[in-house]
Amino acid sequence: MAAGVAAALAYPWLVPNYYLVYAGVLTVMYAVTATSWNILGGFTGYVSLGHSAFFGLGAYGTGLLVTRAGWPWPLALAVSAVLVTLGAAIVGVAAVRVRGASFVIVSIALVSVMNLLVQGWRSLTGGSSGVQVPAPFPELSRGQTHMVFFYLYLALLALALLTWWFIGRSRFGNGLRAIREDEDKAEMLGVPTAAYKVAAFALSALFVTLAGGLYAVWFRSLDPIFLFSIVLGAYMVLMSLLGGGRHLLGPLLGALIIAPAGEYFLIALGESQIHLTATGVLLVLVVLFMPEGIIPKLVRRPAGASIREETAEQRLLEVRG
Amino acid sequence: MTLTTEGLTKTFGGVRAVSGANVAIKEGRVNGLIGPNGSGKTTFFNLVTGLIRPDSGRVLHQGRDITGWSPHRIAHAGLGRTFQLCRIFPRMSVLDNMLVAVRRTRLRELLAGTRATAEVERARHWLHRMGIDHLETAEARHLSYGQQKLLELAAVFMGDPGLVLLDEPAGGVNPALIDRISALVRDLNAEGRTFLVVEHNMDMVMNMCDHVIVFDRGAPISEGTPQAVQADPRVLEAYLGV
Repeated sequence: MAAGVAAALAYPWLVPNYYLVYAGVLTVMYAVTATSWNILGGFTGYVSLGHSAFFGLGAYGTGLLVTRAGWPWPLALAVSAVLVTLGAAIVGVAAVRVRGASFVIVSIALVSVMNLLVQGWRSLTGGSSGVQVPAPFPELSRGQTHMVFFYLYLALLALALLTWWFIGRSRFGNGLRAIREDEDKAEMLGVPTAAYKVAAFALSALFVTLAGGLYAVWFRSLDPIFLFSIVLGAYMVLMSLLGGGRHLLGPLLGALIIAPAGEYFLIALGESQIHLTATGVLLVLVVLFMPEGIIPKLVRRPAGASIREETAEQRLLEVRG
Repeated sequence: MTLTTEGLTKTFGGVRAVSGANVAIKEGRVNGLIGPNGSGKTTFFNLVTGLIRPDSGRVLHQGRDITGWSPHRIAHAGLGRTFQLCRIFPRMSVLDNMLVAVRRTRLRELLAGTRATAEVERARHWLHRMGIDHLETAEARHLSYGQQKLLELAAVFMGDPGLVLLDEPAGGVNPALIDRISALVRDLNAEGRTFLVVEHNMDMVMNMCDHVIVFDRGAPISEGTPQAVQADPRVLEAYLGV
């Protein structure tokens, strides 16, 4: 754990060039979105393919408040995050009423609607030509800016992980897991399932929104087709499932694999769509053959044997009455 | 009366599952609810606990109209239930299963660690009463079916219900365990909890219940002591279809 933190902190100083710092920022950014997605997906089992909507709204909210209103970017970021999270809570009230595949469809609809809205509302958003955001630190070089954003994203990742951990050990988190296992049964035991799901949905949107807002000031060029794409949402799902959605560090592990792999394919194969196909294939393979992700395969609990003993003992007890 | 229904009706695609049922549960008793398959017993449970909404009629709990309340609110009001096919949270530990129940929604309690509250002591108490406290750390899906039934029952008591609805507690369990569950119900009843039990095992009903309500075609057709109900020709008619 400590070694991992130390390696993350030292990373920008150890790599030979700024391109690798840039790839590092991208990886940590993806890790934030996946960890945040997992606040909903990992606990409740509600699979949202539309979380890129929050990333896009965070990016556009921050970008537009900086360019149109002239706000300092930290303020723009904070205000966007609050507004989008509130919006997510309102959308969540409607969205989490449906379960399973229906919820997946609703989440896709959400990001598609946002895509159309942002592209259509040209006077505000610049339509498909996007938004150009001024440099956040004009005195720093592009490479130094990457360094700064690496640490900003790292701090955000720590916050998202801490939130997941805190929920995971709380009774609220226990209730969310019960929703994943049997929602009606949980409700019958007094768990206000609708409120729980909306809270998880909004919290999950919060860190994705913040990641998107930071992206606006870091990347500085906002393209609605990328920001409001299902691909970005699918990445969050893939990274969480690949690493292991039931584990704190699962999405992070998934991001450490997927993000560098994506960058590598982009360089190796050029600007083709093949890496997208690869993402799809990988997602199918993970769901089919490794739905629990990598982490459970690494940590094998030695509990199996003792449970069987207890079951046998208990069976004897049952027979005796 | 802990629970009464007035003209409770629910139709599924033209079939009247529950049809104008007027039922009064006797407080402080073990009430039995019997009837042929498809007579509306489980639908009645689902209506009373808020899982489905009635087309018409009312459900009153302690004189309060709880018709249309969400199930968690009804649970908070003091109703607990088990399901016909035992329902637990299979991929959670036995102790975590116990800690799902919420008695009241206070933010501070919900954000407290699962292991930090007095609820853990209550959970252990109920697991001990059901005789499965040694399985605390096991994943619920690894338990035998009988143990899962006991776990479901134990988890219901975490909500501290005054009225407990059991849907076929003897279904699929061995005779020794049936006796144990009967004894538990009698003990818990002696401590002041009211029960309403749907059961097909007539021996269990006759041993355990003080008062029996017989359903046929979605409404009660007879009620009284187990002996009286057994002797009622209308009951025989409903069961045998003569």
